[in-house]
Amino acid sequence: MTRNTLFRLGDWGIYALFIVIVLGLPLMMDDVFWLNRIAKYLVYGMLGIAIALSWGYAGILNLGQGLFFGLGAYMVAMSLKLQSYTSMQQGSDRPVPDFMLWNAEPGAPTELCCIVKGSWLWLPFQAQWFGMVMAIAVPVIVALILSSAIFRLRVSGVYVAIITLALVLLVRLLIIDAQPVTNGFNGLTDLGWLTVAGIEFDPYMVSTYYIVAVSTCAVLLLTRWLVSTRAGLILQSTRDDPNRARYLGYDVAAYQVFFFTVSAGIAGFAGMLYVIAAEFASPSFLDITFSISMVVWAAVGGRSSLIGAAIGAILINTIEATASETEMFQEAWKLIIGVIFVLVVLYMPRGLAGLAQDLAGRIADARVGGKQRARTGAPAE
Amino acid sequence: MVAALTIDALEVDFGGFKAVDGLTTVIDEGELRVVLGPNGAGKTTLMDLISGKTGSTGGEVRLFGRDITNRPEHQIARAGVGRKFQIPSVFRDLTVHDNLRVAVSQVPGVFRNLRLGMAAADRARIEEVIALTGLEPVLDTVAGDLSHGQMQWLELGMLITQQARVILLDEPTAGMTQAETLKTADIILSLKGSHTLLVVEHDMAFVRKIAERVTVMHMGKLLAEGPMAKIEADPAVREAYLGTGGLH
Ligand SMILES: Nc1ncnc2c1ncn2[C@@H]1O[C@H](COP(=O)(O)OP(=O)(O)OP(=O)(O)O)[C@@H](O)[C@H]1O
Ligand SMILES: [Mg+2]
Repeated sequence: MTRNTLFRLGDWGIYALFIVIVLGLPLMMDDVFWLNRIAKYLVYGMLGIAIALSWGYAGILNLGQGLFFGLGAYMVAMSLKLQSYTSMQQGSDRPVPDFMLWNAEPGAPTELCCIVKGSWLWLPFQAQWFGMVMAIAVPVIVALILSSAIFRLRVSGVYVAIITLALVLLVRLLIIDAQPVTNGFNGLTDLGWLTVAGIEFDPYMVSTYYIVAVSTCAVLLLTRWLVSTRAGLILQSTRDDPNRARYLGYDVAAYQVFFFTVSAGIAGFAGMLYVIAAEFASPSFLDITFSISMVVWAAVGGRSSLIGAAIGAILINTIEATASETEMFQEAWKLIIGVIFVLVVLYMPRGLAGLAQDLAGRIADARVGGKQRARTGAPAE
Repeated sequence: MVAALTIDALEVDFGGFKAVDGLTTVIDEGELRVVLGPNGAGKTTLMDLISGKTGSTGGEVRLFGRDITNRPEHQIARAGVGRKFQIPSVFRDLTVHDNLRVAVSQVPGVFRNLRLGMAAADRARIEEVIALTGLEPVLDTVAGDLSHGQMQWLELGMLITQQARVILLDEPTAGMTQAETLKTADIILSLKGSHTLLVVEHDMAFVRKIAERVTVMHMGKLLAEGPMAKIEADPAVREAYLGTGGLH
């Protein structure tokens, strides 16, 4: 066995182990409260994957990934809001969100079409599938338009980070400002449950956990396939030297737009799953701190490793949840994570995944070296 | 003879300063053309204009009769122009093998590249290039860790893998040891005939080894053109090189 095959086996082993643990967790843990928490962390893991794809593989640091997460979350939350019990209790035969009543002009009809200005936008969300489709479609379309503009103009590096950062702030303000249709600061709460074929998915049910778990594994494998394709390799080449890629005949912007958009689609999908598990959508999803947290998770886990970034996100959030149960730790944790981030960026740019690879490399060297020594009788180096 | 590359009254104006000024020359298919000229003569700029890095302000570039003037870089590359830069330009974080895999670019679109593996013919071509450039021992090395010479050969190998019909080489032996220069000359000579080459070079020993026809540029203009022996005897050329050390 060569060093490379050993390496590849180890790599797939980690993926297999991850999937087995994620899918097998409900068998080992019957605390539905924790299961629901872990489901949310898996969603964060998905965000880590999205960041690794754009940052690690495409070299595009998106500091506004929360925009796509938030858009996905709001789209599905609108549908689930209309599905909630209270939305049927507002004095109409058809659902109307409670907060719209609070914001309505006196005498406005209690109908989705015209209770407040712009409430007609909610009309198609009465169909749950519409909200779910939009949760992916809207982030994808926004990302497509945004990234086409950015990458056709050959904007790169820190400027992309600044533009995406500014955009997530802007949209956050717009959402808060459109209080009558978005419930502003408070976000969309008191949501109904996802209902598929008559089955209601209570967030604290094992089957809801499985929706998230299977989705996470699927996203992980799909992105892994994507980066293993020739397109994935070409993408990495555009990261290293966009000019060289151009002079080989590749339309660099097309590759950047495609992978940026895929990353946004994953974030939107994650937003949708988060709402299903957490039962709310809030402008805090578009807070800068959240978008930056995603980057920290990916950096700690290893930005150039999809599974590393996912594990980084899950690990940090699990530790944070355990730690914040003691009050003193809560404040200290922010400091600790800040310090870890700085240390990783300075001394371990490939994160935990890099550490694991180095370790595996040493083991593989020892193995292969040992066998070759045995075969040739040559002394060890 | 078929004209591979036709440069017709090509001009670029950098705010009043013409780095290339009405240059005309025709390079035949399979020819190896060396471009000489003192520092600042406009040789690199000429390559920038052909490959689309810099937009021209006058004249035309035609590739096998097809107008490619001022097209986006990737379209010029797809039309068949490959370029090697003065500073070696390879994908530093990818292995040598992956660099060559990326260079197989006959199908450049995103969606058509959403597949694993590559065609047998492409793999075979990569094997040939590996043999030609002698990169076999460093296939799994990250390109950024290569020696200067190896990096230059890798970039050269990528152009061959790319199946560029016209190859532009800007000072391919700059910074090379004598042994490395000799090997580079061998690689370039082996491409003659199957590829059309335009080579900018300062190293006269190297030029004498590879050159047939030579074009001399001076201050953006064509100064002389012809066989190496004739060029070396040309008084105008000697004049242009005065003070810069001359042809040596
Ligand atoms: N974008 C630009 N704007 C303004 N001037 C430029 C630009 N690019 C090149 N020049 C000028 O054009 C002239 C020709 O430069 P070029 O690099 O083509 O010379 P060269 O023949 O390649 O020289 P060398 O042998 O030193 O590589 C130089 O005086 C350079 O300063
Ligand atoms: Mg030059």
